[in-house]
Amino acid sequence: MGYIHFENIHKDFGQNKVLKGITMDVERGHLVTLLGPSGCGKSTLLRCLAGLEEVTSGTVSLDGKDITHVNPRDRGIGMVFQQYSLFPNMSVAQNVAFGLNMKKVPKDTISRKVAEILKIVGLEDKAEQYPNQLSGGQQQRVALARAIVTEPKVLLLDEPLSAIDAKLRRNLQVEIRRIQQDFGMTTIFVTHDQDEAMVMSDVIHLFHNGLIEQSGTPTEMYTQPVSKFAASFIGNYNILSAADFQKASGEAVDCADVAIRPEIVRINLEVADESKRFHMEGEVVNSLSHGNLMRYTILCGGVEINADIMFEKSHLLEIGQKVRLSIRKTNVILLNS
Amino acid sequence: MKEKRAAPLAVMLLVMIYLLIPLAVSIVYSLFRKWTGVLPEGFRLDNYIALFTDGEFLASVGRSIAMCIVPIAATIVIVLLALFVTTIYFPKLEKYVQIICMIPYTIQGVILSVSILSLYVGSPTFLSNRLLMLMGAYCVVILPYIYQGIRNGMRAVHMPTLIEAAEMLGASKLYAFFRVVVPNILSAIIISSLLAVGIIFGDYVLIRNLAGTSAPNMQIYLYQTMKHDSTMASAVFVIIMLTTFIITLLVLLLQNKDTKRRQQQVKE
Ligand SMILES: Nc1ncnc2c1ncn2[C@@H]1O[C@H](COP(=O)(O)OP(=O)(O)OP(=O)(O)O)[C@@H](O)[C@H]1O
Ligand SMILES: [Mg+2]
Repeated sequence: MGYIHFENIHKDFGQNKVLKGITMDVERGHLVTLLGPSGCGKSTLLRCLAGLEEVTSGTVSLDGKDITHVNPRDRGIGMVFQQYSLFPNMSVAQNVAFGLNMKKVPKDTISRKVAEILKIVGLEDKAEQYPNQLSGGQQQRVALARAIVTEPKVLLLDEPLSAIDAKLRRNLQVEIRRIQQDFGMTTIFVTHDQDEAMVMSDVIHLFHNGLIEQSGTPTEMYTQPVSKFAASFIGNYNILSAADFQKASGEAVDCADVAIRPEIVRINLEVADESKRFHMEGEVVNSLSHGNLMRYTILCGGVEINADIMFEKSHLLEIGQKVRLSIRKTNVILLNS
Repeated sequence: MKEKRAAPLAVMLLVMIYLLIPLAVSIVYSLFRKWTGVLPEGFRLDNYIALFTDGEFLASVGRSIAMCIVPIAATIVIVLLALFVTTIYFPKLEKYVQIICMIPYTIQGVILSVSILSLYVGSPTFLSNRLLMLMGAYCVVILPYIYQGIRNGMRAVHMPTLIEAAEMLGASKLYAFFRVVVPNILSAIIISSLLAVGIIFGDYVLIRNLAGTSAPNMQIYLYQTMKHDSTMASAVFVIIMLTTFIITLLVLLLQNKDTKRRQQQVKE
């Protein structure tokens, strides 16, 4: 049993069954991501752990203790919300001190800790400002500081970066990860952005319709999707039905769908015969530049397949050009669900 | 363009003059001994000096103020608690609270006072106390204004998230409400209570019917003065008008500041 353990959690809102039996473990010191499309129940599970939502059935335990019915403020859990979470009537320092005040920590300890944590999040010069004087990124750093200054057992982050622009977001991802690792703080992070999940997590849990579809390290999730849904959510997989795949490659496969990552597709101009590979003949119908990558769409026997090739000026393909694709057989993922 | 504007402007001006003449005349009346010719004669401040040295008048002002503060404070606390409970625990009941709070808009002062009297005047308990009845009636009358003001203020602060954030930091819901939510809607509370002050100052029907002359406030004092000294009554009237005017001005100023602050926030 992990540091945090969810046992068969069900949560209904009236007729709406949102969580349908989640069993999940989180190891101490890990940063775990809940990834999934909007409305699949990520926030709801997080709120059940926080105590802000009462579970319909199932148990939640933390550090070996059953906390299913414990008051939110007695769970020792810190949380950062998507937005609006700072207290507008208090300065940055007062916001950060709020949790320590509630714990009746002595005044001089509070001011020392507040100063320390503000330094860690890089806002030591903003202590006396008010939330409406800060940028979105700064506000979320204050929220983070406010949550971790009380040294909670678990830190919950519910899409803390979704309202922040792309570049700042990258910085904050790295920063949050660094602070989390420095403090060794067990953290659950909710996002619907697969790249964010890849960058930050020790373990990713992919949610689908109130159930966990797949769990694993970022690499496992990326290279070994277990279902059509997982393959369509993570990476940019080509997903073909078995029949389509046969049309394109001329070879039969024994499964429902086939998933092929674009970067394992090789584009050749001359015939190369190798029995370890699938071969397809086709015609370039589209090309898209992704910075250092070129994504070509190739029509093979009426089926479109995406292939990613490192950008090289001398090797650009033209629309309409006839090409041959080869894909290492062991790299093709056969899916049955 | 100009012609189109001229007509409404003229109407506005006429209305303004029509409304301001009584005030202007009252001011003149209260300041001069005689006004039989074209120009008034004999400037004096006697009326005002007399008023401000008259214990009864000062007491009536005090009563007016007390009769403002108590019902307003009580209504604010009731509305805050009701909104706290509905927002946090029973969001579905909120529309009923709203309906209940809006009902007094439609009740006329005469009907309200007669109903209250017929209900409570025979009560053997403290409920038959006239002043209590009056303050209760004021609570009812100002309820819609206080409710609207506070409700609007709350809409702007996203109360459930703030309370949840405070809870996660170890606060109870009620503590979070008063420490985190209420300070953020303070300006809304102040504005709606000033509005309520204006309403209570403007009341004559309720106080006349419910409290009678047992505890005269400014309005009753005015009414009684009117019977024996019209220039003195003008002075009382001017003071009441000025007080109301200052309160309205304060409301407008605060409201302005509030919207400015909001706009600033949006820009950032
Ligand atoms: N308090 C509530 N009352 C009723 N239904 C709710 C409540 N909270 C959530 N839901 C429903 O539960 C479902 C899951 O919501 P949840 O917020 O957990 O999704 P999510 O995975 O976090 O999505 P997002 O990525 O959009 O935040 C949604 O269908 C939502 O309508
Ligand atoms: Mg969510």
